[in-house]
Amino acid sequence: MKHIDILIIDDEIKFADMLSRRLSLRGITCQACYDGQSGLQWLTKNPGAAALILLDLKLPDIYGTQVLARVKKIDPGIPVFIITGHGTREDEKACIDLGAAEFIHKPVSIEKITALLNHARGEVQ
Amino acid sequence: MIRKPQIFQKQEWLAFLFHRHNNHLASFHTFSNYRSIWIISIVILAVTSLTPLVTATFINHRLIQQAVDAELVLQAERVTSNAKRSMRFFLEERLNALRFIVNELPYYALIDNAHLGDILGNLKLGFGGFTDLSTIDADGSQVAYAGPFNLEGKNYKTQPWFTRSLESDNFISAVFTGYRDVPHIIIAVRSINALGRVFILRATLDTQRLMDILLSYKTNVHTDIFLMDHTGVLQTPSKTHGKIFTPTHLEIPTFSTTTNVIMPESERDHAFIIGYSYIITEAVNTPFILMVYKKKSGVMGTWLNMGKTFNWIIYISCLVMMIIITLVSTFMVNKLYLADKTKAETMMKMEQSQQLACIGQLSAGIAHEINNPLALINETAGYLKDLYHFTEEQQNDEEVMENLDAILEAVARCGTITSQLLGFVRQFDVQISSVHVEKLITGILSFHQKETEYKGIHVTTDIAPETPAIETDRGKLQQILLNLINNAFQAIEANGCLDITVLHLPPGHIAIEIKDTGCGIPEENIKRIHEPFFSTKKEKMGTGLGLSITYGLVKKLQGDIQVESSQGVGTIFTVTLPVKMKKEDTA
Repeated sequence: MKHIDILIIDDEIKFADMLSRRLSLRGITCQACYDGQSGLQWLTKNPGAAALILLDLKLPDIYGTQVLARVKKIDPGIPVFIITGHGTREDEKACIDLGAAEFIHKPVSIEKITALLNHARGEVQ
Repeated sequence: MIRKPQIFQKQEWLAFLFHRHNNHLASFHTFSNYRSIWIISIVILAVTSLTPLVTATFINHRLIQQAVDAELVLQAERVTSNAKRSMRFFLEERLNALRFIVNELPYYALIDNAHLGDILGNLKLGFGGFTDLSTIDADGSQVAYAGPFNLEGKNYKTQPWFTRSLESDNFISAVFTGYRDVPHIIIAVRSINALGRVFILRATLDTQRLMDILLSYKTNVHTDIFLMDHTGVLQTPSKTHGKIFTPTHLEIPTFSTTTNVIMPESERDHAFIIGYSYIITEAVNTPFILMVYKKKSGVMGTWLNMGKTFNWIIYISCLVMMIIITLVSTFMVNKLYLADKTKAETMMKMEQSQQLACIGQLSAGIAHEINNPLALINETAGYLKDLYHFTEEQQNDEEVMENLDAILEAVARCGTITSQLLGFVRQFDVQISSVHVEKLITGILSFHQKETEYKGIHVTTDIAPETPAIETDRGKLQQILLNLINNAFQAIEANGCLDITVLHLPPGHIAIEIKDTGCGIPEENIKRIHEPFFSTKKEKMGTGLGLSITYGLVKKLQGDIQVESSQGVGTIFTVTLPVKMKKEDTA
């Protein structure tokens, strides 16, 4: 089992890659998954391996809220941050109800993400 | 001063006549020309209600007039006819008496004065009205005379009545004075004596008897009865035309054997109805025309007065009806106008809010779609910057770093816009709590303390002492006030003024007035300030979303926002909010 810092589930391949590369430069290990199914599979194979999850809502196979619900079943303690360009009021409410840590609109600064990670680590520790 | 919200404004009487024309609002009105509706309404009501009344009055007036005239004609005819019969009888009786004497007595008896005196006595006794009696031979010499005047031996050869009495068997003269200087009438019969010579038995009649007979038919003061001859000279005194023998200058009525009545053509009250009859005995035509004058107003005065009173009642009724019709029409048309105006205003507001909703939805859609590529630009530019930063190869290339920073800054601005846009469309559940407006305002002003000091802005807050704490959404109210106060600070130049006033509008509203002495808003822009993206601020100063968000928030708090502005003087934003906000089922 491989321990990483952030699991990114986003169908925008370039965005996910670019973000993981930038985080890697800062010494943060990332795993990018480009649809809901592969993200959930990775999590099942590596339970408790990620410190936090950045989850997009508009995924090609499973809608983000359902992914969130399943993630919470697999690992209820992991902080999940919704990062989306879309996202209606109903989505936001549903995600908060399902236990998402925060609902963030794209674009998001790299500093905000590192701050989130530090915060999550602080909580874990 | 704070303007009261529309619900408190009194709706004025005659508003439809003095309303200001607004083309956009007018397009939502059902009716456009209220003035002509008003006039048509008054005319139709007046015509339909007054026409029957006026027509009925007119017909009634005509009927009364006709009845009055018919009654007058009947009265005049009756009086004339009766008087004529009496006159005729009077003259015929006396003429027949003379005829009897001539036929019955021998000629010698008639030339004997004593005998003639006896006959006169008997005539006076039996018939009355005789003054004297005389027998005149064919030469005109008075052969015998009986009577009070000393006329014996007189010769009448030259007298016109004598020549005319010789021409026919019977003769009745007009009234004249003759030798005796007293008005009298001569009646004469022609006969032949035993020798075959023509002679005349003549009697004079007292005109007093004639007048007495006529007067007996004069039933009231409005009636005048008199006789005139065929040339229009009065034969008896007349009340309206003067003394006996006065020429009347009246038009001589056309000859007729029956009684006639002439209706005057004039409608005037002092007009007369004239009844007339030529007096004709069986034996001879007399020179008399019996005239009866009846004064219309006198005889039918009661009727005519009643008619006048009735007319007055009708005039006043018409006037009162016109006043009532005008008032009712005005009231109804005004009600119609106000209802139509309210409808039009509601429709206009609906149109505006629909437009806003459409714009909002469109903006949200755009924001969503832009966010993803924006995120990619952000990450890519960030990665490039990271590359330079972490590899240390071109870290000193300031130009590249500056440009990358510019890209990132632009992306950050775009992000602000899209998130504000989404905030505009999104409306989260309202959380109602008790809010002290004064504390809220003080808190917001404290953010601007430095700017106030730096620009030398004079800030005053005036909170009405009885203003209650209101139940509303604190966060939203804070954002509303923050937006408005920020706008005011941006507008105010150095040494300007910012006045914040809070008023309690009993029973259930408060008004917050934010007045600045800034640059003001041009009139053509005032209508557009609530539209998203409408901004006149310079680049980087505003997104054009602040006021549209504020507008949406005020509506969400069940309030109203109004703006008054004059360029160069300043702007007043007035937010009216309910003291107690009602909970909504749908957020």
